[in-house]
Amino acid sequence: MSKVISNLHRNPWADWWDGTRRTDVWWTLAWYDIVLRYRRSLLGPLWLTLSMGIMILGMGPLYGSLFKVDLTLFFPHLALGVIFWTFFSGVVNESCSVFVNANNHLKQGYFPISMFVWRCISRNIMQLAHHLVLYVPVAMWAGKSFSWSMWLVIPAFLIAIVNAHALGLLLGLVCARFRDVGQIVSSVMQMLMFLTPVMWLPESLPDRGKLILLNPLAQMLELLRLPLLGGTPSLGTWAGILGWTAINLFLASIVFKRTYRRVVYWL
Amino acid sequence: MAHISLRDVSVHFPVYGAGANSFKKTLAASVTGGRLGKETGVTVVQALSGINLELKEGDRLGLVGHNGAGKSTLLRTLAGIYEPSAGEFYRQGTVASLIDPMLGIELDANGFENIMLRGLIMGLGKKKIEKLTPDICEFSGLGEYLNMPVRTYSTGMLMRLAFSISTSTEADILLMDEWLSVGDAEFTEHAEIRMKKVVSNSGILVLASHSPDLIDRECNRVIRLEHGSVMHE
Repeated sequence: MSKVISNLHRNPWADWWDGTRRTDVWWTLAWYDIVLRYRRSLLGPLWLTLSMGIMILGMGPLYGSLFKVDLTLFFPHLALGVIFWTFFSGVVNESCSVFVNANNHLKQGYFPISMFVWRCISRNIMQLAHHLVLYVPVAMWAGKSFSWSMWLVIPAFLIAIVNAHALGLLLGLVCARFRDVGQIVSSVMQMLMFLTPVMWLPESLPDRGKLILLNPLAQMLELLRLPLLGGTPSLGTWAGILGWTAINLFLASIVFKRTYRRVVYWL
Repeated sequence: MAHISLRDVSVHFPVYGAGANSFKKTLAASVTGGRLGKETGVTVVQALSGINLELKEGDRLGLVGHNGAGKSTLLRTLAGIYEPSAGEFYRQGTVASLIDPMLGIELDANGFENIMLRGLIMGLGKKKIEKLTPDICEFSGLGEYLNMPVRTYSTGMLMRLAFSISTSTEADILLMDEWLSVGDAEFTEHAEIRMKKVVSNSGILVLASHSPDLIDRECNRVIRLEHGSVMHE
């Protein structure tokens, strides 16, 4: 390709930062995404909480009796599993269409693309917040008490956001160019749901099956869930997730650097 | 100081998933569009090729040409949306793009919310938008309707709102795809005055239009685009 010289041709990281620092823009857009979806309903975003509550209530006793485990042990585990899995799958699946869905903006005006990934993530965080309140009554019912290890959920969540952002850039860009990837991702996510201890207890796995717990989503889930259940995740899990994060960041930055302005041509 | 300089700027689009029907493509190339070429199995549309352009303070450039000649692509390149595939591009000064005044309008949100949304999309801060809001409301003349969801508006009302927000700020470089004219006779007059003011306060105007009268009236330079190249000035 021929040489391009331009004073608008910015450093990719400056462009990334430009989109990131406009918190007012992406947060407001995400907020309206949620508010407008429920504007004409009576309960509004409370539907998010309600429908998740119904799902957990329905699944808890059923799976508890299927697996023959103590419900006070299993119910909080399942509730957090489903809540966080909804967040993961929301982020991953929506990542595939961040730029394709923003094509109207990207083609009609100049925008730093990182802004749209943040919009997607913050929308999912808002949904997560609506779901997470459900854990409070579940934890009280199961007799969980406050423990200091709960604070570990904060670094875990920060790691989750870093990964969500990197994955959003990576999948968003790749899916804008190769439209089949989105389909592949959604079927892989479906399969991963069964390979991740969302609905079953990791302890019930036979020893040789423990390998599947190395999948990044299982590790992320453990880091987020265990502190809230009153446990402490093992150092190995932290190390594992940091490894996955490094790979994710590495791939995302390569793709972003090469295609962050090119993506407009693909929409 | 507003300044734009293009040297040998080209923009080509890869078109993925386009049909392999070469007859259709040949026909398309002769009727509309730029030149179509083949490159590693992917159809490539040469939307702009070898554009040279020098614009300085006070220039009012009119872009004319048939459908698909590259007028909008050139506007978008100037806006920074498309990074040129080749050539040199320099631009100085703030840019206001009136290419699509409806960008960022959410139909389910009400008028006030849309002022905020559209303002943010235009790159304004929340404080600045709040300061501009009374003026936008007054100018749009929509009054109580601003509390209603935008989807209940008539086309004319919607255009009024979009126009009022889009023209509420000024910039060094103004990019426009067709002149913005909206509403009934009375509002058109208001809009015209406001439009003139925005244009006269900008350093450079680039206006793509199919109307020769408009170009004659507003522009002091004209270029004709054909198949993505400048035919004459």
